[in-house]
Amino acid sequence: MEKLINILEELNPDVDYANCEDLVDGRYLDSLTILSLISEIEDNFGVVIPTVEIIPANFNSAKKIWDLILRLQEEE
Amino acid sequence: MKNVLKSIIFVLILYLLVTLISYCLLPHDSVRKYGIIKTSIYEILGEKENTIDSVIIGDSLIYSGISPMEIWHNYGITVFDLAKSAELIEDSYKNFNIAIKSQHPKIIFFESNVLYREAKNKPWFYVWQELYKTYFPITQYHNNWKKYLFTNLNDSMYYSKINVYKGFKYITKTKPGLKLDYMKERNKINIPKENQEYFQKIFDLCKDNNVKLILISTPNMKSWNYGKYLGTKELAQKYNLEYIDLNVDNPLNIDWKTESRDGGSHLNYKGALKLSNYIGTYLQETNLFTDKRNDSAYESWNEAYNIYLEYLK
Amino acid sequence: MSYFDVVYFLAFLPIVIIVYSLLPKKIKPLILLIASLVFFFLYSRWLIVFIIISALSIFLAAKKITKIENEKKEAIKDLDVLTKSKVKATYIKKKKLILIITVLFNVAFLFYFKYLGFFTGVLNSLIKIFNVSNGFKIIKHLAPIGISFYTLSAISYIVDIYHGKYECENNFLKLLLYLTFFPTLVEGPITRYNEVKDTLYEGNKVTYKSFCFGYQRILYGIFKKMVIADRLNIFVKIIFNDYNNFSGPIVFLGAIFYTILLYMEFSGTMDIVIGSAEIFGIKIPENFREPFFSKNISEFWSRWHISLGLWFKDYIFYPVSLSRGVKKITSKVKEIFGMRVSSLLMGAIALFAVWSLNGLWHGAGYQYLFFGYYHFFLILMGNIFEPLIAKVCHLLKINRQNWFYKLIQIIKTCLLVFIGELFFRANNLTSGLQMMKQIITNFTFKGFNKTVITLGLDIKDFIIIGISLIFILIISILKEKKIEIRENLSKKHLVIRWLCYYALILSIIVFGAYGEGYVPVEPIYADF
Repeated sequence: MEKLINILEELNPDVDYANCEDLVDGRYLDSLTILSLISEIEDNFGVVIPTVEIIPANFNSAKKIWDLILRLQEEE
Repeated sequence: MKNVLKSIIFVLILYLLVTLISYCLLPHDSVRKYGIIKTSIYEILGEKENTIDSVIIGDSLIYSGISPMEIWHNYGITVFDLAKSAELIEDSYKNFNIAIKSQHPKIIFFESNVLYREAKNKPWFYVWQELYKTYFPITQYHNNWKKYLFTNLNDSMYYSKINVYKGFKYITKTKPGLKLDYMKERNKINIPKENQEYFQKIFDLCKDNNVKLILISTPNMKSWNYGKYLGTKELAQKYNLEYIDLNVDNPLNIDWKTESRDGGSHLNYKGALKLSNYIGTYLQETNLFTDKRNDSAYESWNEAYNIYLEYLK
Repeated sequence: MSYFDVVYFLAFLPIVIIVYSLLPKKIKPLILLIASLVFFFLYSRWLIVFIIISALSIFLAAKKITKIENEKKEAIKDLDVLTKSKVKATYIKKKKLILIITVLFNVAFLFYFKYLGFFTGVLNSLIKIFNVSNGFKIIKHLAPIGISFYTLSAISYIVDIYHGKYECENNFLKLLLYLTFFPTLVEGPITRYNEVKDTLYEGNKVTYKSFCFGYQRILYGIFKKMVIADRLNIFVKIIFNDYNNFSGPIVFLGAIFYTILLYMEFSGTMDIVIGSAEIFGIKIPENFREPFFSKNISEFWSRWHISLGLWFKDYIFYPVSLSRGVKKITSKVKEIFGMRVSSLLMGAIALFAVWSLNGLWHGAGYQYLFFGYYHFFLILMGNIFEPLIAKVCHLLKINRQNWFYKLIQIIKTCLLVFIGELFFRANNLTSGLQMMKQIITNFTFKGFNKTVITLGLDIKDFIIIGISLIFILIISILKEKKIEIRENLSKKHLVIRWLCYYALILSIIVFGAYGEGYVPVEPIYADF
């Protein structure tokens, strides 16, 4: 989780990731940033994020993203 | 149930409001006399009583071909186009019947193309449009708000309920007509029986009101031909009427290359100038009419002409 | 029959509502389907077979894919890890084949009806360059209404099924209703199956509230179109056809007016669409979210024609940028230039694909492609320079959350949008470029005031436009602040409520730009 927050902060340092609940809907993460985020996650956590999973519901908070990573790791 | 009642009341009040606004926006004088509905369908009712010298009955050929304002400007005679697009002869009769109640024209021209249009194929949207016009007349006059709102604005535009075109449609488009041999000789085409009956009615109406009825065929290479010319000629002889034919040998010298708007069916503005002047001269030569251009009772026609000039720009 | 036709909202819709209300809950969705098919038939007659074929193709393909998926699950149940992935792969291959065939099949229709003419034209000009032959005859077809919209919906369904996003639909008629639903048929929004399925097949009752709310929204849409868009149309038409005769500011005013016109027409249609569906208790996602409050172009596109943007994002942008080919290239770039450059490159490739297709989707013509690449360029530049701007602001101590800074950004975005829409409306690319030239080289306000009122609109028209726009601006601000206008209004006293409705209806009747002297705007998006 901490690793994830670090990645996020590198991408956009102006957001309070611990509490923000609308990363996508509030346009803190635009689609290009999400692309960077995905490639970082894939490199760091050894998962492949399929395109169907890229929906606002999975990326709206750091917690949600973390859940997604855990779920994908399990499925592997 | 309560909601149904509420809805009904809502609609009723709406209807009242629409009617109220209609009264405000429709041409005043005639509305009081003839009611909202009639005034909006029959433009001629917007004219002052007994001011029209001559009316013209017909279809789009007339409202594209004769501009009353040109005749007014050059001859001081008041003409009104009663024509509607694709008019049926039964409507011609109806329109004329209404017009004659408020006007006493001395001469009425009747466009012969109407004689050959059969009533059977009335398109559905035509009926729909009629209904719409009849029961929702404000849709045609709604733009009169400009006359009442923001009137303290000192702008040069002139908003008026004066009918400027008097039935004429101003179109400058040009599309050359090519069928130059459209009047080559052929057999007579008979006028449909039903239409003959209506013509009889129109004839009687003219007789009763002491109006001179004149048949006229405007230049038209698409739907007119020699056979129809012969049929109309026969009709004129039967009733002993004058017949102005403008197709055989092209007496108006219509230049089909530049004076038609749609390839020979309707005249454009340029062609209309020729036909209007022809009608003007014709009316003047009857010596039935006085020149009213300096008559103060007809001031609104001069005003209308000034606006007309604005429109032509 | 367009949605703004009196026949639609005073005859067609009421008849559907009455029949729908009279029949039992179970048959209600069927009534909607019949109404939709009638609606389609009125527009495109026998071309109706094409939408049925499209629906049938995705229906059957979805069932087949689901079957393969189930077989796969059955087959890999008791296998060890190694053989598992091998067996899995063969099933996925089968699934993929069906997906590709179905998508190509549907795209082929779209191509046939919309783009054949354009591409034969392109081919012909190539042939001319090389002087090989006389070229091919350009065939133009009358396309089935809404083909650009329902094809995208169909593709979204089959792709989602492929990815197992939701269960496939087992009732063909239901799926057909999803594609043909008459409010969304002509101009979208491009709905997703999972967004609408809950309410679309419910057979919800038409309640007094849903009826009133629906018609209120419809009225608002009609107001936008008839009072503003149709009025501006006169002006816009003159400018775009005769741009040579006007000075720069007037041509630019034409572009601004066209943008307003387009927004009023399109979002007004969406009000009618969403309002119509609302009457039947069906929720259609919004297609606009006050786009002119956007602070940059990419935000603008997330607020303007939202459903199209989202479609491109989900089915083009992410799949392309995360595809194996693109990943391969970018991972190499990453090693050399670092993450920022690589992700920018990844995004740029995907964005290029998105905007090429977006341009083409709007129409087969060079001006639309230009329109697409214009936005591609702006969005890419925005992303490249964003860190730089952030740094500069930081150095100059400019607060980027400041209202003044935001306002400047909004104005900048609007100006860029106006230029984009100028090309979009231009009769062709050359005249678009010439108009831009006119704006730049002939920028003089001499005679501006005099000319403006001679272009079909007089001062009184401008006053009406001004008042109406202020009215819409106020509503937009309320919406932006997430205030439910209709809910609030419905709590007010009856007299106030009714006064509002009467004012709206009467202002449409009196101030609407219809009748002699006005030509209504053609439904712009219906042709796409």
